[in-house]
Amino acid sequence: MARVKNWQLGREMSYWYPESRPKKQFAAIFDTNKCIACQTCTLACKTTWTSGRGQEYMLWNNVETKPYGFYPLGWDVKLLAELGSQQWNGSVYEGRTVFEAARPGERALGWRPGEQDYAHPNVGEDDCAGNIDKGAAFAGVHMAWFFYLARICNHCTYPACLASCPRGSIYKRPEDGIVVLDQSRCRGYQECVKACPYKKVFYNPMTGTSEKCIACYPKIEKGLQPQCFVNCIGKIRLAGFISQPEDANPDNPIDYLVHVRKLAKPLFPQLGLEPNVYYLPPVHVPTQFSQQMFGPGVEHAVREYMHADADLAGLLGLFGSTEQIVPRWKRTGDFVYGLAEDGTELVKVPLREPIHERLALDPKFDVMRTNCP
Amino acid sequence: MKSSRIVLVVSLTAAVGLPGCSQSQPIVAPVEVVVQPSTVELPDDPLDARWDSVVAFPAALIPQDMVEPRQLRVSTREVRVRALSDGVRVAFRLEWSDATRDDMPMPAAFTDACAIQLPAAISADVPAPQMGEPDRSVEITLWRASWQATVDGRGDTIQDIHPNAVPDHYPFEAASLESGSDIQRAMQQRYAPARALDNPMSGPREQPVEDLIGHGPGTLAPAATTSSTGRGKRVADGWAVVVTRRLPEGLASGKRTQVAFAIWEGGSEEVGARKMRTGWAPLLLEVKP
Repeated sequence: MARVKNWQLGREMSYWYPESRPKKQFAAIFDTNKCIACQTCTLACKTTWTSGRGQEYMLWNNVETKPYGFYPLGWDVKLLAELGSQQWNGSVYEGRTVFEAARPGERALGWRPGEQDYAHPNVGEDDCAGNIDKGAAFAGVHMAWFFYLARICNHCTYPACLASCPRGSIYKRPEDGIVVLDQSRCRGYQECVKACPYKKVFYNPMTGTSEKCIACYPKIEKGLQPQCFVNCIGKIRLAGFISQPEDANPDNPIDYLVHVRKLAKPLFPQLGLEPNVYYLPPVHVPTQFSQQMFGPGVEHAVREYMHADADLAGLLGLFGSTEQIVPRWKRTGDFVYGLAEDGTELVKVPLREPIHERLALDPKFDVMRTNCP
Repeated sequence: MKSSRIVLVVSLTAAVGLPGCSQSQPIVAPVEVVVQPSTVELPDDPLDARWDSVVAFPAALIPQDMVEPRQLRVSTREVRVRALSDGVRVAFRLEWSDATRDDMPMPAAFTDACAIQLPAAISADVPAPQMGEPDRSVEITLWRASWQATVDGRGDTIQDIHPNAVPDHYPFEAASLESGSDIQRAMQQRYAPARALDNPMSGPREQPVEDLIGHGPGTLAPAATTSSTGRGKRVADGWAVVVTRRLPEGLASGKRTQVAFAIWEGGSEEVGARKMRTGWAPLLLEVKP
């Protein structure tokens, strides 16, 4: 085990390999408050990458309803139970990561989902789990809550899948930090499936190898965002590259939201993988739940989000506004600009869309427009 | 082809131990194999009656607890080894107890398997028994129950695992594509990335065995070709498997090399480094007068 710096934990930690960060690190931000669980992202991924034999059950991208839904079943709560109660001290994690809690003979603490755990994605998770008191909808606060959690591989800085592979079949691409699994080398031991706490590596029973999200790297290489990003109906996603906190660049939209405004939070940072998909936490979820899922600082993030200033609101408007990766941004007046590295304008988005009132009665033809396109 | 009677001797070191043997049995015992002249083929069926006359060696298995992921629990304790040679090839018959047949390829399911390991070069200074060393490789032949099932006729579709499964659609089976055409097969290949990259693991298989080269833990790689053959069958209390491979280069009658064995019990989630294994055992190819 080597000692490595994990800024999400505010401390060093143990990892199987020494610290070796890529030249650039792929990262993403998902706005949980805008997701409607339409699963368009899921289908965009599915039809692009996993339509083959042996991939029937694979969802490299999935959306699940929290706290009731899981894919695979119980992926997070099972591991949290295995890990046991752990503590944060402010922004410093004082508990054990999955690497530090590894059992004798193992490289990481993990568990392996059974076939049935993959069998029923989304089934029943939106059903009402209990009675809602009459009038609860008007009480001003949610008596019952849930939110949609869209998930892909986190392309972690310290991937547990990579650490656990005894053959070194998984690696981080040095050019963009995307975690890929070498299909010519894998022998299907499923150690990665067991070790990945997010359960984003899948075993293909037909080829006998494991497979995972590749962040659509052929698109990334062309400066384009992945399929699940550009097909998102709710425009909840933004792809880009993240810097280390000490190198944060406010002109970089990912850096701005993660490091400068501290609005976007990693998923289960306490597990120690330094995941690179960040979430704008749900605004209506009990703080304790959000803290467990997104780490310290969620109260600040929710407060900032609820009272977004022009810069913040404008930047959120860039989400889903272009297929191109937006490495730089700026706001000028009522417009937000997505820029290339050289400052070239890629996209221009108004801070507020103009309102057009469309009368129900068309005065020219004297017909009602109701239900007419 | 020699017409003399060749005896292949498999013996085990005292260090490996022989649990289950009575005190009256010698620690190192020969396995005598009578090989008919060139017209006789080595039996490839583990249930072939000719194996009954070959002395079996009980090889004690120990957990692989040297490298992560380690096997920390004792599962299969012993493999009984018989060996025959015709002077060109050598056939090992391995038999071990295993209450469950584990040969289905599924998430979190693992296959029963066995392997035979030999040093790539005959030398008194043998490579490390743990998959060899960087400059001293080992040759391994691996048999898997899941591969055997495929060779025996099980298909590799989801319906072969779950007969009632109903996949919506595979793009490479679109009506607009002529079934079996080059375009259709190329498209199907693209949706099986391991096959597209010629990973020998990924099938389809003609043999239930694979020849491999090891240069140390984590280095296992397919040999240029697999020339070995194999066949495994369920027996009363487990598996019996015959693996036939070429004789180690330079192993003439009367000379020795080393051999090691490994067993995976799929039902105990044994896979890769999680296995029961032996240390090196002397292997003697002997000519009987």
